[in-house]
Amino acid sequence: MIRAFPIRLVWLPAVQVPLRALALSLVVLAVAIGAAMVSPEALLDQEVLASGLALIPALLLAHYRGWTIISSLLAAGLVALTLLDLTPWLFGPLFLGVSPTLFIVAPYIAIVLSAGWFGEVRQYRAELKATQLQLIQSEKLDSIGRMAAGIAHEVKNPLMMILTGTKVLSKRLAGADESTRQILQDMIDAVGRADRIIGGLLSYSRDRGVDLAPTDLNATVEESLMLITHELNKVRIAVVADLHPSVPPLQLDAFKMQQVFINVLTNAIHAVGRDGEIRITTSVDTRPDQTAGGHQRSGSATGTRVAVVSIDDSGPGIPTEHLNKLFDPFFTTKPVGLGTGLGLPVCRQIVEMHGGTIDIGNRDGGGARVTITLKLE
Amino acid sequence: MRKRRILLVDDEVAITRALAIYLAEQGECEVRIENEGSRAVAAALDFKPDLILLDIVMPDADGGAVAAQMKADPVLRRVPIVFLTALVSRQETRSASKTIGGFPFLAKPVDPDTVLEYIDRHVVV
Repeated sequence: MIRAFPIRLVWLPAVQVPLRALALSLVVLAVAIGAAMVSPEALLDQEVLASGLALIPALLLAHYRGWTIISSLLAAGLVALTLLDLTPWLFGPLFLGVSPTLFIVAPYIAIVLSAGWFGEVRQYRAELKATQLQLIQSEKLDSIGRMAAGIAHEVKNPLMMILTGTKVLSKRLAGADESTRQILQDMIDAVGRADRIIGGLLSYSRDRGVDLAPTDLNATVEESLMLITHELNKVRIAVVADLHPSVPPLQLDAFKMQQVFINVLTNAIHAVGRDGEIRITTSVDTRPDQTAGGHQRSGSATGTRVAVVSIDDSGPGIPTEHLNKLFDPFFTTKPVGLGTGLGLPVCRQIVEMHGGTIDIGNRDGGGARVTITLKLE
Repeated sequence: MRKRRILLVDDEVAITRALAIYLAEQGECEVRIENEGSRAVAAALDFKPDLILLDIVMPDADGGAVAAQMKADPVLRRVPIVFLTALVSRQETRSASKTIGGFPFLAKPVDPDTVLEYIDRHVVV
C-alpha cells in the first residue's frame, strides 16, 4: 500500500489576505531593489520607492488593528507601487506632477479618516445586530404567547381534572400513611406550578392594551398589600408603607398595576426570607434624566412630573451579574417551581403600557430597590 | 335542612365527575351533572338549582349564550351563575370587580375548596 505523504501547506489558508499581499509586495519590492542594484537605470523614481516603503508600516498598523478592508487596499497599493517601480514606462506617466510627499502622507490620512468612519460603521453594525436579536427574541416570545393562549384552554381543563381528582383522593385517603399524603400534596402543588407557568404566558401574550381610568395609586398599593397579607404574615415580614397623600389620581389600569405590585412584592418576600422588612413608598417627583449607575432601566419618560413607587427590601440584594438579566423572559434564580421567569417581563410590559418605567438596583445600605415611575400627565 | 343544589355544566366528563363527588362529600351538596351545554337550561328548569357552575367553551353551546337564556327565563333568572373557565388565569380572578358578561367567574384549574367557599358565601338554604 502506498502511504500518502503527509506534507500540507497548512499555514497558507490561515494567513490573512493582507499579510499575503504584504509578503508578495515585499518580494516584488526586493526584486525591484535588486534590479536597481544590478542596473541603476531600472530604479527610475526613488520617490515612488520611498512612498512604497512608507506604506509598509501603515499597512502593518492597519492589519494589526484589524482594519481588514484598509489593509487590503494598502497592500494592493503597495503592489501597484512596486509594479510602478518595475515598469515606469507603463505607469510612470500617470503619476507625473503628483507630489511624492502626497504618496507618503496619503495612506496615513486615509487610515485616520477611514478608522473613524469604520468605527462608526462598526458601531452601527453592532447596534443593528442588537436590534435584530431583540426582534428575534420578541418574535419568539410573541409566538410562544400566541401558542400558549391557544393551548391554555386545552391544558387547563386536564389540570382541573387532576386537581379535583387529587383533592377527592386526598380527602378519602386522609388516614393514609405520610408518604401517600405527601405524594398527593406534591401532585396538587405540581398542578399549581403548571398553572402559574400557563398563567404567566397568558399574561405575557394578552392584549397589549390597558384599561385606563383615574385611579388612586396609594389605594392600588394598599389593595395589593392586602392581597399578600397572608404571605407576609407567614414569614413574619414587616411592611412599612409610606404613601404620600399628595399623589394625585393617575390614569392607570388598576388591575394590571396591582399585578405588578403583587409580583414585585412577592419577589421581595422571597428575597427577604424571614423576619425582614419591606418598605414601600410613593411620592411625586420630577424624573431625573439619568438613573444611578448599576441600575437597569427600561422604557423612557424623562423630564416629566412623575409618581414614583419604591419598593425596598432588606434581602441580600441582587448579584451584579444578574442585574441586566432581570427582565429577560424565563430568567429566574428561584428554586424550581417557585419562579417562572416571566414575572418581571410581564411587569415591565404593563408599566411600559402605562408609559412608565421600572428600574431595579441595589441600595447602598444593602437590599434591593425596585422603582416604578409613572407619568402624571 | 335540605342540601344545597348545584348544577354543574361542563363538557369535560372527568371534571364534572370528580367535582361532583367533592362537592357532595365535602360540601354536602346535591349535585346534578350536565355535560351538554345545549341541555343546560332544560336541566336547570328540571333540577331547580341554588347555584349553577357553568363552563364557557363547550362544543355544542356557548356558556355565555346559555347564561343569557337562563337570565331571560322567569324561573331561572334569580339563580346565581358562576362561570368556570379556562379562558382566564387565576391571577385575573383576584380582582373582585372582574366579571365576564356581568357574571362572576372562577378560573380553571380552580381548587374545589375555593368552589365550596364560593358556594358557602352565596348559597343560603
